[in-house]
Amino acid sequence: MKDFMMIFLGETYEELGLTPEQTQEQMGKWFAWGNKMGALGILKEGHALHAPTTRVVGAERTVSDGPFVESKEIIGGYYVVSAESIEKVVEIAQDYPDYHLGGSVEIREIIVFDQA
Amino acid sequence: MTKPNEERVDHLFRQQYGKMVAILIRIFGLANLELIEDAVQDTFISALKTWEKKPPDNPEAWLTTAAKNRTIDLLRKLKVDDQRLTKINTGPSTIALQELFLDHEIEDSQLRMIFTACHPLLTPVDQISFALKSISGFTVKEIASALLLKEDTVKKRLTRTRQQIKSTNISFEIPNKQDLTERLERVHQVIYLIFTEGFHSGKKDMLIRKDLCGEAIRLSKLILKKPMVRSGNGYALLSLMCVHAARLDSKLSPTGELIDLKHQDRSLWYKPLIDIGRAALTNTEAYQPAVSSYHFEAAIALVHATSKTFEETNWDFIFLNYQKMYELYPNPFTIVNMAIVKLQQKQNQTAIELLNSIKPEQLQQREYLFYGTMADYYLAIDNQATALVHLDTAIKCVSNEAEKNYLLKKRGKIKLSK
Repeated sequence: MKDFMMIFLGETYEELGLTPEQTQEQMGKWFAWGNKMGALGILKEGHALHAPTTRVVGAERTVSDGPFVESKEIIGGYYVVSAESIEKVVEIAQDYPDYHLGGSVEIREIIVFDQA
Repeated sequence: MTKPNEERVDHLFRQQYGKMVAILIRIFGLANLELIEDAVQDTFISALKTWEKKPPDNPEAWLTTAAKNRTIDLLRKLKVDDQRLTKINTGPSTIALQELFLDHEIEDSQLRMIFTACHPLLTPVDQISFALKSISGFTVKEIASALLLKEDTVKKRLTRTRQQIKSTNISFEIPNKQDLTERLERVHQVIYLIFTEGFHSGKKDMLIRKDLCGEAIRLSKLILKKPMVRSGNGYALLSLMCVHAARLDSKLSPTGELIDLKHQDRSLWYKPLIDIGRAALTNTEAYQPAVSSYHFEAAIALVHATSKTFEETNWDFIFLNYQKMYELYPNPFTIVNMAIVKLQQKQNQTAIELLNSIKPEQLQQREYLFYGTMADYYLAIDNQATALVHLDTAIKCVSNEAEKNYLLKKRGKIKLSK
């Protein structure tokens, strides 16, 4: 088993202009997805991130505030799951609830050195 | 549903109620307390309806899922300030919300709830009702029955507390270091009061009494789990409650009559609880020299709980502890207890001197303890007539039914021996 990070990119529901009912529906799906992964025992960790971004850049360590990317590219959070292969994670990511809202999932394998 | 099942459901709901309320307050803020409590209540009502048709395999998991769904349902119903709202307007924010449903986070939320309920800005007399409702999930009816209050009185107290929480803008937090000691003291007091309500209650209904004692013990364990709020006083409190609770079954006869320490069947005392109590008292040693009245009360309770017979009780040790307790916390009840010990030791003169040093009014609604002890003194010196006078006064001012019957029975015996 390997660990993978699923990074969630997309606009906030507020920016998308979702009604409270629609927000509720989406969050219900997110809860269900999280519960499903939890029940399968593949969920290792996760965090949600605030949208505002600050960047420190260059030799001068210049500090600047975002946004730096289009709002649909903003990282809203991530989950770390364990799976046999990236294909399996793609399968897991089928349940990501926000595709129809322009959201996307980026999957990256986590580097571990103590494994063969 | 069958009867025992109903009891189990009640118990489960009570446990889950406090958890859900605490989690939801953490998400939506104390300002929404009332709506949150209504929402949790609704969840239980719909749970019962669903379960009547088909009970779930894992009711606890079912309720947790229901609470999560309730969270997003509340999102549209509650007025949430912008700061909170920006935290919950993305799908991934559910990742953070899910965290709150993990055991250690639930415990943290419940601790915050306990400290909030014991805030000094809230009226002390209301705090027990509020704690039993919002932390422990008792219904208004159960609280009224447990505290021997009218349901309306309980409702009024709850409303007043909720209003105070709103108007004073209390934060849902464990206080910082400066305020912690003081607040912790109040937390211990409230837990102690919940326990004594259960332990000394006049209610014949053993179930509600056990629930109160059990809830007090559960809360004090919860507080001891977290190093930041762990204290010697906390361990002493847990100790005394466990040791007392071990005797609960032997305190009432099958017909609901009160049995005093001397006549209790010691084989009924629940040893595992006594052992927990002893271990907790040992734990307090790491926190010396800070002591509280709980320390002494626990030490005394433990002597009673571990002496083989009433006659073998180490009265000297008990008296010494009452003395030390009195030096630290002068209190008329301690004097009465010291007099009782002296009567057991047949040092009648010292006993009456102690009793004469206080005024019965100082004991307020437990004035009958004074007159009961006076009666014991006069019995000890073979003055039955005066003993009867005092017993009658005691009977007149006792409100607790079981205690009253106990005194009446005692009175009956005196007549016979005349």
